[in-house]
Amino acid sequence: MADVLPSSLSKVDPADAWKPWRPSSAIPWDQKWVAHLYRRAAFGPSTADTTRALADGFPKTLDRLLNGEPDATALLEVMTDTGRYFSSPAQIRVWWLSAMLESGHPLREKLTLFWHNHFATSYAKVSSTPLMFEQNLLLRKHALGKFRPFLLDMSKDAAMLVWLDSNRNTRRAPNENFAREVMELFSLGVGNYTEKDIQEAARAFTGWHVDTVQNCDDQVFSFKPDEHDDGPKTVFGKTGIWGGEDIVRFCCDRPSTARFLVGKLYAYLVSETPPPKGLLTPLEERFRGSDYNISDLVKGMLGSALFFSHHAYRKRVKWPVEYVLGAVRAVVPDRVPLADLADPLAKMGQVLFAPPNVKGWRTGTDWLNSATLLARNNFAETVSSGTWARTSARIVARGPVPPPPVVAVEEPLAGSAETPQQQAAVAAVGGAAVAYAPVREMVADDGTRTVVPVIEVVPAGPGGLAPQGAGGTSKPKDTPGAPPPPPDAKFDTVEMLFNPKPKTVAALIKRMGEVLYGEEIPAAARAKTEKFLLDGKKTFSEKDLDNPAFRQKVRETLHALMCLPEYQLC
Amino acid sequence: MFHRRDFLTRTLGGTSLLAVGSTVPEFLATAARAAEKSPDAKAKDTILVVVELTGGNDGLNMVAPFADDLYQKARPTLAHTRKDILKLDDYHGLHPRMNELKQLFDKKQLAVVQGVGYPNPDRSHFESMDIWQLGDPKRIQTTGWLARTIPGMAVSDAGVPGMFIGQERLPLALQGADGGVISLADRESFKLKLTGNAPPRKKLLEDLNSGDDMTADLAAFVRKRQLQTYTSLKKIEDALGDQNQPKNPQQRNRGDGDKNDLASLNGKLGLIGRLITKGLGTRIYYASINGFDTHSGQASQHADLLGEVSSAIGQFFNALGGEAGRVVLVTYSEFGRRVKENGSRGTDHGAASCLFVAGPQVAGGIIGKHPKLDDLSDGDLKFHTDFRSVYGTLLDNWLGVESRTVLEENFPTLPLIDKAKKPDAPPKGGGSAPKPGPAQKVETPPPAKG
Repeated sequence: MADVLPSSLSKVDPADAWKPWRPSSAIPWDQKWVAHLYRRAAFGPSTADTTRALADGFPKTLDRLLNGEPDATALLEVMTDTGRYFSSPAQIRVWWLSAMLESGHPLREKLTLFWHNHFATSYAKVSSTPLMFEQNLLLRKHALGKFRPFLLDMSKDAAMLVWLDSNRNTRRAPNENFAREVMELFSLGVGNYTEKDIQEAARAFTGWHVDTVQNCDDQVFSFKPDEHDDGPKTVFGKTGIWGGEDIVRFCCDRPSTARFLVGKLYAYLVSETPPPKGLLTPLEERFRGSDYNISDLVKGMLGSALFFSHHAYRKRVKWPVEYVLGAVRAVVPDRVPLADLADPLAKMGQVLFAPPNVKGWRTGTDWLNSATLLARNNFAETVSSGTWARTSARIVARGPVPPPPVVAVEEPLAGSAETPQQQAAVAAVGGAAVAYAPVREMVADDGTRTVVPVIEVVPAGPGGLAPQGAGGTSKPKDTPGAPPPPPDAKFDTVEMLFNPKPKTVAALIKRMGEVLYGEEIPAAARAKTEKFLLDGKKTFSEKDLDNPAFRQKVRETLHALMCLPEYQLC
Repeated sequence: MFHRRDFLTRTLGGTSLLAVGSTVPEFLATAARAAEKSPDAKAKDTILVVVELTGGNDGLNMVAPFADDLYQKARPTLAHTRKDILKLDDYHGLHPRMNELKQLFDKKQLAVVQGVGYPNPDRSHFESMDIWQLGDPKRIQTTGWLARTIPGMAVSDAGVPGMFIGQERLPLALQGADGGVISLADRESFKLKLTGNAPPRKKLLEDLNSGDDMTADLAAFVRKRQLQTYTSLKKIEDALGDQNQPKNPQQRNRGDGDKNDLASLNGKLGLIGRLITKGLGTRIYYASINGFDTHSGQASQHADLLGEVSSAIGQFFNALGGEAGRVVLVTYSEFGRRVKENGSRGTDHGAASCLFVAGPQVAGGIIGKHPKLDDLSDGDLKFHTDFRSVYGTLLDNWLGVESRTVLEENFPTLPLIDKAKKPDAPPKGGGSAPKPGPAQKVETPPPAKG
């Protein structure tokens, strides 16, 4: 069949691979492939997303993912203003998670995450929330833009300059840290430059410092002519009085930059299986031809025949952020307290704004060791059982520092929004900021020891008690047959699974598969799951749907299905 | 192409699943047996055990310059006599209670690194401990040196890269290694949470993950990792279970270092040893022993502590048997103590000191000169070896992690590791899969007198 690629990747003609995909009888635009697209281009589908995508068709869905919702720009403006009030990394972590979920442009957030890993900078050394936040805004600004201005802006980004010791790069004593990383990690890739190139480039970047603005703690890029070496330099065989801008330009002019970036994005969006030689050549040419238009490249990947084939299907390991947000979007009926995601994410190995080093996180199968897989299994338990630690939204300020204004807001910031559209945006963000307000600094999350017990979310009323507390009584440990208390209705995952009401156990399991995977789970797993659910009984009746013991079993089954190996993949 | 055997070796390589065979699906046990027979499985990862001596260890009392008159003069009540001391050479001697370490020294498996410290020493416990654990005297780093080691360190078998053994909070040295470290103080961090119908749920999980596909695709790989995770948890539980055996309370005696007591160094190192022999795959272990802040009445307290350190380390290496060659242990403390003893028969906070590096692959001996006792800085020994030289050497030569990526600078390499050296012939039965059950009985070495 013409519309199906050869089963061996090495036999795939690169020209065929990157042809625009058209739904066919062999690979139709159905729930399975909608889920696949949403796992890569967003943070997994919600049921509503799937319904809408199927109704809209593929081209319209892809366009929406690429461009975001119509109000995404307005939303981002308001969210950005909100974020500027935050003063701890825990707060901007929650802020970013809420942007991923609610900013109306998940692909942009997905690419922002990619670039955060590419230009990996950590709070651990930068030690400034505003600087990390501003860098995040810069990553977002260029996430789907053009790479040349992106690289130049990053070279002048204050957090980056602090991170790579730029103030130590002076005329008398050049420091090669930034020059090396700009070539090795940010553009050319290792092996595509000489040590001499780095030494000379470091000289070109001398005097690119950060400085404190007067009467203000903000640090900004500042060019120090006295510290700059304005002598001739030879980089990539070209000699001249080069400055930092020239180095950035030279790096972007070299073909290895397209190769390096396309390869990295391919692993992020398409497949972590190393591509055979030549497969990515058409994309590299297209990327260079568009003068590094990232959006165009991403569209080329996500809209390709190769993307909609088994060569891409489940060929990546989910990053922890993808795992966590995907699970929440798929099965939790309501918003969850995003601060509760911080600790699981840390245990899975991904603390936002704190990648382990300048190379970023080790991705792919390196995400999975016994500690991190256990954390994934245990997070699945939190999600399926609906045991969120804090369930409501009353914010109380404690300690000497007053809370940032927006966090104290329970009503939308009505006064600050001019148009009805903006007011809606404020309401949405206000809701997010409150419901998701960070609670406290995690002690060990990025090694900092600053304790910030400023804001605390307290349960609102008797219904808002943390389920795990269960009214102060300690629950029996692992007692068989004694089900834990049912979750708060808004977090009860069975609500989602029982809508519409399943007629049979088989239908229920099918539904679980569709919600979690976009397709049914394998037959062998179905049989085992059915046996567990029925628990020795012969039949299932609709009455069981209201039986607490059965509902508990359904949640337990959901957990088990989130522990299948396929669930770690996307 | 990816072969079945490579695949098994890669995923199951060093784990001794056989040891917990009954809890693992049969197909996996079969696979494990096959993998363990493959020659590649022998290339096992090296392990570093870090022992923190909390409180500021008196290095001069641990490794004493007994032949130096200035030492005898500065320590009128504390100095060891020529008669008592365990002589390492004509000048240095080990504390009389450190028989086991003397034996290691004689076997050239113990290095004493002299004059270790850093510029402008800080004499505050907290500050100096931070400096050592960050691996950064300027304290610009905010994550621990071991935490920074983990991202560049190869770990096979889906192992947890680093583990802290103790009841206290995670030491700074290990903070910041997201997803790379577990702490035995935090039981939640290695417990699979299954509320409600736990036993049938556990069975369902194992059933669902026991698909018998031996293909090399990504899902099959993850399935193995998932099973390894469950097996690792079981191994940790088993190792802890051995810990919690009924014990005779009368045996609890700090000096002896009851091996069933997680509060003692002996207990902690015993547990580490069992985790290593169970093939857990962890490459960095961290344990500490407190009480070294000996401002008064030092002689007997410090003797007990050093006795425990010595016997715990000695028993640890004995119990490791054939696995010992994979292990290097390093001790450190936040600072040494003042050369001159104080009026309370104790010593006050000092600066440079010595530390131990032990293991069959260690190039034994005394590394570096003893700092001069007639050239002090505010009454303290001067350092000549930056502590990051010790770290850097362990990183580059033992863990195989480029030290510059962790320490941001290159420090002189010390002659600590000799990988070419033939370790002792392992004791009988060493190296085979250990049997679950009580910790091996360890022979107490005979006291080395004189």
